[in-house]
Parts: sequence; structure tokens; C-alpha cells
Amino acid sequence: MNVGVSASTSRRYTALIVLGVCAFAVSCAGPRATTGPRVIVLGFDGLDFGLTRDLMAQGRLPNFSKVATQGMFAPLGTSLPAQSPVAWSTFITGRDPGVHGIFDFIERDPKTLVPYLSTTRTVPGRHNLPVGPWRFPLTAGRVELLRHGVAFWEDLEAHGIPSTIIRMPANFPPSGKAARELSGMGTPDILGTYGTFSIYTSDPALVGQSPSGGAVLSVDDSSGVVHAHFDGPNQPFLRTPQAMHLDFAVAVDGTRQFAKLQVGNATRVLRVGEWSDWVPLRFDVSPLQTLSAECRVLVKELTPYFVMYVSPLNLDPLAPAEPISTPSDYAAQLAKATGRYYTQGMPDDTKALKAGLLTVDEFLAQSRIAFEENRRQFRYTLDRFDGGFLFYYFGDADQVSHMLWRTLDPGHPAYQAAIDAPRAGVIPGIYTDFDAIVGEALQHLRPDDLIVILSDHGFASWRRAFNLNTWLKTEGYLVEASHTSADETGVIGDIDLKRSRAYGLGMNGLYVNLKGREAYGIVAPADRDALLTEISRRLLQTKDPATGAAAIAHVYRREEVYSSAGYDDLAPDLIVGYAKGTRVSDDSPLGVVGPEVLTDNRSAWSGDHEMDPPSVPGILLSNRRLTTAPATLQNLAGTILQQMGIRGFPH
Amino acid sequence: MFRGGLKLDKALVARAKRYADLAGYSSVEEFIGYLVEKELAKLEGSDSEEEIKKKLKGLGYIS
Repeated sequence: MNVGVSASTSRRYTALIVLGVCAFAVSCAGPRATTGPRVIVLGFDGLDFGLTRDLMAQGRLPNFSKVATQGMFAPLGTSLPAQSPVAWSTFITGRDPGVHGIFDFIERDPKTLVPYLSTTRTVPGRHNLPVGPWRFPLTAGRVELLRHGVAFWEDLEAHGIPSTIIRMPANFPPSGKAARELSGMGTPDILGTYGTFSIYTSDPALVGQSPSGGAVLSVDDSSGVVHAHFDGPNQPFLRTPQAMHLDFAVAVDGTRQFAKLQVGNATRVLRVGEWSDWVPLRFDVSPLQTLSAECRVLVKELTPYFVMYVSPLNLDPLAPAEPISTPSDYAAQLAKATGRYYTQGMPDDTKALKAGLLTVDEFLAQSRIAFEENRRQFRYTLDRFDGGFLFYYFGDADQVSHMLWRTLDPGHPAYQAAIDAPRAGVIPGIYTDFDAIVGEALQHLRPDDLIVILSDHGFASWRRAFNLNTWLKTEGYLVEASHTSADETGVIGDIDLKRSRAYGLGMNGLYVNLKGREAYGIVAPADRDALLTEISRRLLQTKDPATGAAAIAHVYRREEVYSSAGYDDLAPDLIVGYAKGTRVSDDSPLGVVGPEVLTDNRSAWSGDHEMDPPSVPGILLSNRRLTTAPATLQNLAGTILQQMGIRGFPH
Repeated sequence: MFRGGLKLDKALVARAKRYADLAGYSSVEEFIGYLVEKELAKLEGSDSEEEIKKKLKGLGYIS
């Protein structure tokens, strides 16, 4: 990882020290409440209010209905924008993005205009000792969580209530301020990405492809044995970056349709179409150090061509190279008790399906594996939950809904009746799985216990794609880079920032190219207000030629919707609320200018939520009537803490 | 050290000297050397544009 590269030792030692200090602090936090009422909060990412309501009405979610009868069921207002890192950070802190500093999946540094994933940052070691081709870090690098503000579990702990926070998004590295934590969405693979899959193949039709979020690697299977290697992160001790490799071999028996994988000391017999269990991997970092990882493998074909899918190389939960739990050995404890598991924050391989390199059925099988791992851990955690507060997260409804929402929308541009109609029950099936999860939790409840079930946002069919940068160019606010010069200074994607007044970056963000703030700013601060007013008005007037309807439902101005707590320069000037059914195009978030503003979304990624927040509410279920006012993610944690007798949150 | 090869604004050097003294550096040269090294470390540790895009595309939301 560039992140994790440093993967190895020095950072790990730092993490261990930090986590050790935190564990000590927790152990010294005073008497623990283990006998009072307990609170269980289940976070189901992306559970849609409308679909949940309909399934409850059909009697298909009996445990949800039971809870609702005891307390409440209501739509839950999501965050602005309706993106999971933003939404969960809002829930965690009870504050808006202006305070927690997470404005989008993707943000940019105004001084360098380099985009980055919003929740974490890697800080390299400060001093290196160069010796020949080597460099030896003298101080450790680290990964920083960029979410600011006070997490609600800090107040719980301060009141002596032990908290267990499992897979909370936007909590990597874990805060170290709960009794037990396992990091979730935001946790990278060993390359430092949110998940990079690999396809090893001899199929000439696949070789040469460059799928987004993955790699296709050519292999020779003519001898009956495929020799190849896994790509690891860069060697942390080399001055010139060079990826570490781990060799493997696959002996192919095309007649009997199985293969034998040999990597290090691990051997796996792989049948075509069957997912392997976790394969442990060890990269040699130095003669005395190794980097542990793990992967799952699917042999897709052996004849006429060799095609093998390899999952993103996950951090090894038994020896994670990055801090992923509190205490630091908790991740390993879970693995020893329930088996190895996906440590990657978003395990469902949507990218491989989107690229057509996993079939729908292969994707669903992989998603089910991740769900079952999580369910085993949930049962283990629930069985040992003897007091305090438990938050537990499930993410697969969100990921599968992204990929299969069209199965619920025959009007979707990518809908294919033969493929999609038979799968119309897949997403409702996940909802019924969650109903069973709720049922298991209810069995553990005592009379005074509180259970809360929430989702961070809902879902909608994503039919139309809006390229915000193309729109800005069409309207005369953005100048497209010519890409004819070797000097690309001031160019981000296709945008010539030396001549553009505004640009789109991230999923919902629109930035004014403001002088004094942006590296190549050309808009005087005195002109910002008028420019924002004009752009907002013209965005709201934009009609989709395919439907005649407005493409944009609302445009929000930063200073009108966010608090100001020191992160204004990171925030978009405008947050675009796309009309339900429309989302920013795939390519606009990194600065690509396309030929058309609005196009049909023909991608397998057919459902989304990055639309105007009121159109995609989440759900709130509880066995108590928590509030009579419209519930929002932002006020929910404070409401729950009040139920526990704790006031003063949020801070 | 840099005196022979670099020209810095006098006012900037004066400001740097004030903070070098406050922060306990033995000389303004040591302080400025530290600042340059810190910025270089950021650049040397940062990803290439392609690596950044690769990481962002791992989200699945974009391509």
C-alpha cells in the first residue's frame, strides 16, 4: 500500500503502541456498566424506506413489524449529500459535514488539487536513511482518520458504559475510544485501495482489458502449469518504488475441471465455479519481515482458456498490517473464533461485476460469503454482549442494491428481462435476511433493553447520468484542457483550471475556482456569490431532454447548510441534489468532460442514492417511540444517548 | 549551508529565525532544513496520479 506499504513494521509498531495506550486508557476508565439496560443498534446500509414499508405491509419482515408495533417505524432523513461516509460520520458525531469534515467520498486539496478518499490520509515517515538503492525509515508513517468531531461512543465510555462498535463506516483506523471496535467501510486492501481484484487468464479476448478497480494479467497455460505472481504494495525500503511480488503456481487439469493452487506453504484444490476459502499470503519485506495478507480465489474456466479471479488482497485479520481493531488483537480474536473474514471495508466485488469479469451469480455468491462471515461474527458478538452498547453494521444491501436495483425497475435502460426478471427477488431476499438478523437480536433482548435499527440512506433506480463538468463547459464556466502539451500543470482530468471558473469533483460537489483558495484560482472572492447564484439558477433550469423533467431537484450552498468549523476550504461551494433517477456520471467525479451532459445509464451499477437527500430517506425502527419529530441521522445518536440518560450530545 | 546557493527574502528569514528560536532549533538553517525535508517527505510519499485514480476507482461508484 502506499498506505500500507509501509505496511509493515514501523507503522505497525506505531499502531500497536497507539492502540496499546488506548487499551490502557479504556481499562482505566472506571467501573463498567454490565448489568443495566442494554442498547443494540443495527446499521443496515442502504435499506430503503419505501421498499421496507412495502415488504412489511406484505408480511415479509415479521421481526421488523414486531419492533414497529412496540415502538416506531419512520423514514430517517439522510445527510447532505446522501453518501455513506458522510452519512455515517453525521450519525457518529451528531454534527453536519462542516464539523466532521467528511463532505463526499472524494475530496480535493485546494492547494494541490489532488483528489483523495475523504476519510483517511497516509502520513509517510518523516525521516529516511538512504543507503544505495534502499531507504530505511527512521520514524514511522501512519494512517490518519480524517473524520473530526466527537464520536457518540466517547460519551458512553465517559459515563462508564462499554461500547462495542463493529464495522462502523468512516472509522478506519478505529478511533481507539470504544471498548471494542472493528473498522468497516474505509478499510483498504493491502494495496491501499478500496479493493482491487485480479483476473489471471490466457483468454486473448480478456488480455489487454483494463477494468476499473481491477487488473487483467496474462498467463501461459500451455504447459499445464500456470506460473504467475500476486502484486503486493511497493517495497517500503526501496528508494525507487517497486511492487513486492509473491509467486504462485496453478496446476491445471482441464479434463477433470479442477486445478491445484500452490502459494507459499498453502495448497488449495480449486474446482471450476467454486469459491476457495481464504488463502493466507506472506510477502517478504526483508529477510526478517513479512507482510501478511489473504485472498479468495474463483477458477472461472480451465478450458479452452484459463480464467481465474483473485479477490483484492485483504489485510490478514490474524496479523493486520494496519490497525483495524480495538484492542489491537480483537480482529484476530474474531478470526480465531469465527474464521478468517473480509477485512476490506466494502467486500462485495461490485467492480468485477461492473466490468463483466464476474457474472451476476458469481457476484451474488461472493456477496453471500461476505454476509455469512459477518453473520457469524454478529452471533459471536451478540452471544458475548452482556451490557452496555452494541453497534453492528451490515453493508451488503447497499452493495447489491447498487448492482441489481434494475431488477426492480423494468424501465431501467440496462434492464434485460431474461437476466433480470428471475432475480427480482434478490434484493427483497436481503431484506428478509436482515429481518432474521433482527429476530436473533430480539431473542437476546431483556425487557428494559432498547433496540434501534437504522439505515443511512435509501435507494432509487439510477436511469440517467449527468456529467457535471460537461454541463459546466456547455454553460461557459469550464474550459476543457487541450491535452496537446506535455506540461499538464493546472489540469485536473480534462479541466483547464487556469481558465475555468468552476469545476465538479466528487459525487455531488461543485467548486468555484476561487482566487486565494485554489491553486490556480481565477474567480475573485467578491464575485463568488454572484457566480454561485447564477450557476444554481441555471442548474435548476436544466431539463432532461429524454423526459422533459428537471434534472436537478435542489442546489445547496455550503454556507447555508453546513456549520463552519475550520474545514470550509475543503467543502464544495455547491452541493448538487440530482433529481430522483439521475446521478452524476461515472466519469465526471475525477474531472472528465464527456460529449454529452445527460446520457442513459447502461451500467450494471443501476441503483444509487447520491441524489437529492429528501428523495432517498433511510429507515428508523425502534422498540421505543424515540421521537415524534421527523427523525434524522444527525439527531439520532443524541436521541439514543438521551434514552440512556446521557445529555449533552452532540458537542 | 544554503547561504551560498539560495536566496531567501530577508523578511522571511527574519520570521523563520524568530520561530526557530522559539521552537528551540539551534539555528535558522536547521529550522529551514527541517521544513524543506517535511514538505519533500509529503511529496515523496504521495501517490502518482494513476495510483490515486486507482484507489478512487476502488470505490465502485466511478470508473
